[in-house]
Amino acid sequence: MFTLIPFLINGLTLGLLFALIALGFMLIVGVMEQINLAHGSLFALGAYVAYAMLGPPLPFTGEVGAWWAALPLWLRYAVALIIAPCIVGLLGILIEQGMRRTYGKDPLFGLLLTFGAALVIEDLIRSIWGTRDYILPTPDAISGGFIALNLIWSSYRFFAAAAAAVFILLTWLLIERTRFGAVIKAGAHDSEMVRALGYDLAKLRIAVFAIGTMLAAAAGMIMAPIWGIRPHMGVDAVIPAFLIIVLGGVGSFWGAVIAGLLVGMVIGLTAAYASEWSLLSMYILLIVVVTFRSRGLFGKKSILEA
Amino acid sequence: MIREKAMIHKITRRSLVKGGTMLAGAAAGLGTIYGPWKHNRAYAQEGKPIKIGLTCDASGMYGASGRSELRGITMCIDEFNANGGVLGRKIEWITADTETNPATASRVAERFINREDCSILIGAIHSGVANAITQVAEKYGTIYLNTNSSSPTESGENCSRIKFVWDGNGTNFTMSSVTAAVERVGKKWLLLTNDYVWGHETSDATRKLVEAAGGEIIDELLVPQNTRDFTSYLLKIQQLQPEVVAPAVGGDDGKILRAQVAELGLDQQAAWVQSQQDWPDVWAAPESIVGIFGTNWYHKLKLPGVDDFVKRWQARADEGAIPVPGNVAYCGYMGMRETLRAIERAGTTNNIAIIKELEQLKIPAVDRMQDYDAWMNPDTHHLQQTIYLARRNPNPVDDTDLYEIISASKPENVIDPQEGQMCKLAPYDQFPTVDG
Repeated sequence: MFTLIPFLINGLTLGLLFALIALGFMLIVGVMEQINLAHGSLFALGAYVAYAMLGPPLPFTGEVGAWWAALPLWLRYAVALIIAPCIVGLLGILIEQGMRRTYGKDPLFGLLLTFGAALVIEDLIRSIWGTRDYILPTPDAISGGFIALNLIWSSYRFFAAAAAAVFILLTWLLIERTRFGAVIKAGAHDSEMVRALGYDLAKLRIAVFAIGTMLAAAAGMIMAPIWGIRPHMGVDAVIPAFLIIVLGGVGSFWGAVIAGLLVGMVIGLTAAYASEWSLLSMYILLIVVVTFRSRGLFGKKSILEA
Repeated sequence: MIREKAMIHKITRRSLVKGGTMLAGAAAGLGTIYGPWKHNRAYAQEGKPIKIGLTCDASGMYGASGRSELRGITMCIDEFNANGGVLGRKIEWITADTETNPATASRVAERFINREDCSILIGAIHSGVANAITQVAEKYGTIYLNTNSSSPTESGENCSRIKFVWDGNGTNFTMSSVTAAVERVGKKWLLLTNDYVWGHETSDATRKLVEAAGGEIIDELLVPQNTRDFTSYLLKIQQLQPEVVAPAVGGDDGKILRAQVAELGLDQQAAWVQSQQDWPDVWAAPESIVGIFGTNWYHKLKLPGVDDFVKRWQARADEGAIPVPGNVAYCGYMGMRETLRAIERAGTTNNIAIIKELEQLKIPAVDRMQDYDAWMNPDTHHLQQTIYLARRNPNPVDDTDLYEIISASKPENVIDPQEGQMCKLAPYDQFPTVDG
């Protein structure tokens, strides 16, 4: 019997993953009003750095390498989930330093700069890892399938959805429940006032860009066992991320989360009932929403309208 | 001054008309003697290298296969150059990423012919890319070798006098497996189809064969290109409970699909019968080799020449390359080799002469490193060759021994019956001539 519940559950897990991919993108667009076209490449780099830490051959040899390889995979995986985003976050800081000169000028400069960064990162990936595909090893506890509702389900898919939910929650706490979050939101609305109050806006921007980049890298690592690792995997991420931000409303945290969930549900359900429309469905959803609400579902005045 | 004036007076309207008529007559006479023009392009010069354009994808969903194909082609060219080239001329090559994108492929083909003076184009995995290159090459009469695109349309309705197809097509592969699977595995089939020409053509061939063998297609799910998450499709497959799933999902999409099928153990619930599996697609994930599938070559075939070919490949492979040649590299190598040999036999680089040589091509099994002799079908320009059926090797002798070959079909037993009906090759004189 063909039942709907598995498809709804699948849509929900897929939606959480889409929301995670979009979150870092949203943070930088919403808070800094900069569209970071390198988001997809940073997403891919997160997956590659994680692979370097978990897959053979390891980047370090000798005693350190032997010690690291001897650790159980779940422990190495957990460490990589923290360290890989931090490493990629450092690159995010470099990109932000480059973007500094474009602040207050035509947004096109920022777009071009991040587009250039995307090309450089993708070529960097090709030169280090080549064009071959890789599979990220995952601990046994979150690999394989289990049976529920008389169907086999992917353990990793549920782990990934749970991890995405945790990252979303942490980001929300940071933005909405800390002094740091309050200041960066204030900086986005009135940078002069924030500066007058004695806050260093330059440092705040570095922090926002680094966090956005780390979220991209974490999403890359989490999605790697599902999508596979290859140099152009970033393109698969940046397009839905952009779409989700516009759909949810530029700058809206919950807009990005809800739009991600919506996109996941729509893709999941169309794949079940009209499979050839499954990828197209997210674009149709965007057209429908933007036709009736140009600022997206939860958007205020967006930079696209400025 | 006076002389000039006199001259002006002599050139009257009548004399102009007369002169013009005479010139036109002379031109018409010359035309009768020499025309129509036999050579639209003549690159040839004594000792000048022959230039070949390698239209291989380096990115996009077939990027990995494109890189492997490129390596096979360049290996062949290097070997010919080491032996003095062709007709005493060196072979030069140029490549550009066609991005698994027909629009990019068209631009690359135009540039290779018009600006780089390439007299032969070679390479493609995606049928849309191959078709786009064919259309450009046809305009200029440039020979195009479609090495790896397996859509039946390539040697069927989109065949061309200037194009030669070197891989088996979806129907060839399907014929080697479907009838046996209906009889031995089950009659309830589900088609999982990549929503573009190769996917549709391959699934259509499967449908016909399944129904002819007494089986039933219970559903067909269309998978958009660049799908990354197949869970919804797999959920539907679980609920519909087919006995056999026949996916026609290629490139990166196929790779991810198989990884997700293997992860869930869905290959244990239903038999998976794929038309074909390209080697670069499974290299990174041997655990994703599910079900049975077609191929036209394997690097551990126990046939003369295979081990030597693998050694030559390994001697030149760089760090980033797959350490053994797969079917894609093999097709690239063989397509290039047979064309260069055809030039040598024809004794010229004239395109029509090469085409006529290739149309008579017969390759003994021992020379082709397959089980049976191969031949070029002169009516479709599609190489008829041995088709192997394979599955994951349960007892590999080393890390590269991923396949187990379970049968070898003779070319005459897997001929695509539609191909000859669909393909109408235009006469030779409808194409510009090229001397490379």
